[in-house]
Amino acid sequence: MSGIATARSPRLVVKVLCFAFGVIACVIVAVFVLFSVQTNARVTRSVVENMEASQLRFAGLDARLRREHTLQAMALAENPTLKAAVDTYYSERGNEHELGQLRSTIETELTKLQQIMAVPALSVTDVRGTVLASAGPQKGDWPAGARVTLHVEEDGSPVETVVMRNHHAYAATAVPLVLGRDVVGEFFLASPLDDAYAMSLAEEARADIAILLDGRVIATSTSATLRHSLEGVALPLSGTLMLGGDEFVVQRLSSVDSANVYALGSVTEAARAAGSDTGWVLLFTGAGALLIAVIGSWWLARTVARPIDRLSNSLAQMAKARDFDKPLPPTGGSRELDTLTATFNELRTAVSLAEAESEATYLGVIGALATALDARDPYTAGHSQRVADLSVSIGRQMQLSEADLETLRLGALLHDIGKIGVSDAVLRKPTKLTADEFEQIKLHPTLGARILKPLRFLDAQLAIVELHHERPDGRGYPHGLKGDEIPMFARIVHVADAFDAMTSARAYRGALPVTAAISELWRLIGIDFDAQVVQAMAALPVALTEPGSSEEPATERPSMGGLVPFPSRSVAAGQHPQLALRRAE
Amino acid sequence: MDRLQVCAGVALSMAVLCSSARPDVVARETATGSLTGRVHVVSHPARRLATAGVYPGRIVGIQTDRETSELDNVIVFVNATTRVDSVPQRVSIRQTNEEFVPHVVAVTAGSTVEFPNDDLIFHNVFSLSRVATFDLGRYPRNASKARTFTKPGVVKVFCHLHSHMSAIVRVFPHPYFAVPDRNGRFTIPDVPVGRVEITAWHERAGEVTRSASVEDGSAAELTFSLPLTDPE
Repeated sequence: MSGIATARSPRLVVKVLCFAFGVIACVIVAVFVLFSVQTNARVTRSVVENMEASQLRFAGLDARLRREHTLQAMALAENPTLKAAVDTYYSERGNEHELGQLRSTIETELTKLQQIMAVPALSVTDVRGTVLASAGPQKGDWPAGARVTLHVEEDGSPVETVVMRNHHAYAATAVPLVLGRDVVGEFFLASPLDDAYAMSLAEEARADIAILLDGRVIATSTSATLRHSLEGVALPLSGTLMLGGDEFVVQRLSSVDSANVYALGSVTEAARAAGSDTGWVLLFTGAGALLIAVIGSWWLARTVARPIDRLSNSLAQMAKARDFDKPLPPTGGSRELDTLTATFNELRTAVSLAEAESEATYLGVIGALATALDARDPYTAGHSQRVADLSVSIGRQMQLSEADLETLRLGALLHDIGKIGVSDAVLRKPTKLTADEFEQIKLHPTLGARILKPLRFLDAQLAIVELHHERPDGRGYPHGLKGDEIPMFARIVHVADAFDAMTSARAYRGALPVTAAISELWRLIGIDFDAQVVQAMAALPVALTEPGSSEEPATERPSMGGLVPFPSRSVAAGQHPQLALRRAE
Repeated sequence: MDRLQVCAGVALSMAVLCSSARPDVVARETATGSLTGRVHVVSHPARRLATAGVYPGRIVGIQTDRETSELDNVIVFVNATTRVDSVPQRVSIRQTNEEFVPHVVAVTAGSTVEFPNDDLIFHNVFSLSRVATFDLGRYPRNASKARTFTKPGVVKVFCHLHSHMSAIVRVFPHPYFAVPDRNGRFTIPDVPVGRVEITAWHERAGEVTRSASVEDGSAAELTFSLPLTDPE
């Protein structure tokens, strides 16, 4: 992966992850919000429905309970002993002992009834509402002598009344004790409107219950805090209201006298309960979705990024190796990437074609230049081309690679390019050169190097041009390098150059025969020429060493083969160099 | 509650009649006079239901059109505790149509009250009153049980089977009492002369007491008014 890309912009994986994560998170949040809103609405509706159902159920139950209560009370009020005792009570007025006896008769009777009925309190009053006797666990609130105001209908039908006794509220059902057509007293059942009662109602109604008397809370089935927040609140017949920060649905279930029984349902709590269930589901679903998104996007990013990485790696390697010849392998990641690779390859081909073309143009120009250079002197005409050919032959003999041969050929072709800067007078001087003139000549390798230097694609040839006059013994120019310090290509070109010079006629001498030239080469091994190169040269078939062999068929000089029959065989082995040279001479 | 009041007004005129004889009463030669008067009930002091009971129509065979008057439940008597012997009486309180008839009787001490059962159903007679606590048990139609009351006082009688039934037996140590007729008129004969307290009593209305002078051989007319206030 390329570090540069990371620094500039986030990696694909990160981007895809972020995107997938973001989208899913948004979806989850949206779902959650929608769900919450809907849950709240649904919960409110269900609480309201629950309340209404409670109210209906409760109303039926309440009516039945009250009727039962009433019937109980009426049945109990028909007790003859009670009636007799109460009626007798009037006629015994003034006799305290007798009255006490009658009261205990009443109480005994009431206790019996209470044990059967299990009513919290049973009581009997005279017609003015003075309690004569009471029974039941709550009888302490109804002591004999206490005055109680009870509502009684004219026709004697029982009425439920709320009575406060000792700060306790009671729902009392009063029935007249009737003797003939006379009412002799009141008999009543009282049950406390306390928290226990509210809780029993809460169980029936399946909702919280609050009992309010004249707007004051007298009993609840709820917590003390809620009870506190109910104080002084005007509760509607039905509806919703805020209590202690929570939303409640309120429904009046029934009313007894001035006491009202309300059912309370907490929407907030129900929503919380419903929400926590669905919240968990949502949380798990969301976590799962996120996990899948992460895995999926990681996989996706990897699938996309991997081939891209491969591609960029290939490109990087290609750039590093400066090897643009091989086409990029298809990544196989996706059709798009393969297309990209193919396009790149086409581009590369086009570019290398163009490059090759421009290179060829350059070379053509340079070649033309060299040819023109050679043409300045009739004696050196075709020299560069011949040196190039011979160098390639030697190089091939030395088993150089084709690329090296190409380098060699081009370098050899251009080796004398620096002679452009040498005046014709010096160059074409038929006589011996003066030291000065020779110094001028000696400048041409450096000059040639300078000329070619700007042409980057001729970098490899530069050394050939610059060093093709260096000699193993260090007496060459321009640097006086020795032996191995001189690059092999330069040595090859040096040998080929010398050979061609020797076998070409000059104004001041004739052309040396090939064999003589070769002998000369042999002779100067280690001094002027590199042994390895000379050996390779000598091993060449005669035809190839022939000046102008590239143009003319080798058959024109068949004798050459006889004179120097494959000197490579002996020379290459280094067996009779002297013999070969002597023969040549 | 007080709407159940039945009007009761009492006008009592009293005549003290000389020597109006009651042959069965003492042959003593003491001077006696008569007390006459009139009771008019204009109001009932206690609650009274508009309907006959808690369960309307429950009491089968009740004779709702039976002529009743609060005057039947009033006793006028001389308020004296001195025992005056007299011939014991024998009176009846019949159990008819789930009612004790009459509702109120006044007897002298030592008298016997019979309780014949006229109904097709069983009845019972019992009392919780101090002066006569008793239970005659249950008995069927045409049977009768009796009870002799020796102590003076108010005896309230009930039926254990029918809680709406009640009756009152008022026992006096002397024979100087009367129950007014349908017009409210009554006569108490042979009352010894002297200053006496005369009381008009109703079981729930309570009582009103007046003083009167009984003079020999003369009849004193007294105007009485039963109290309409609540008894206390």
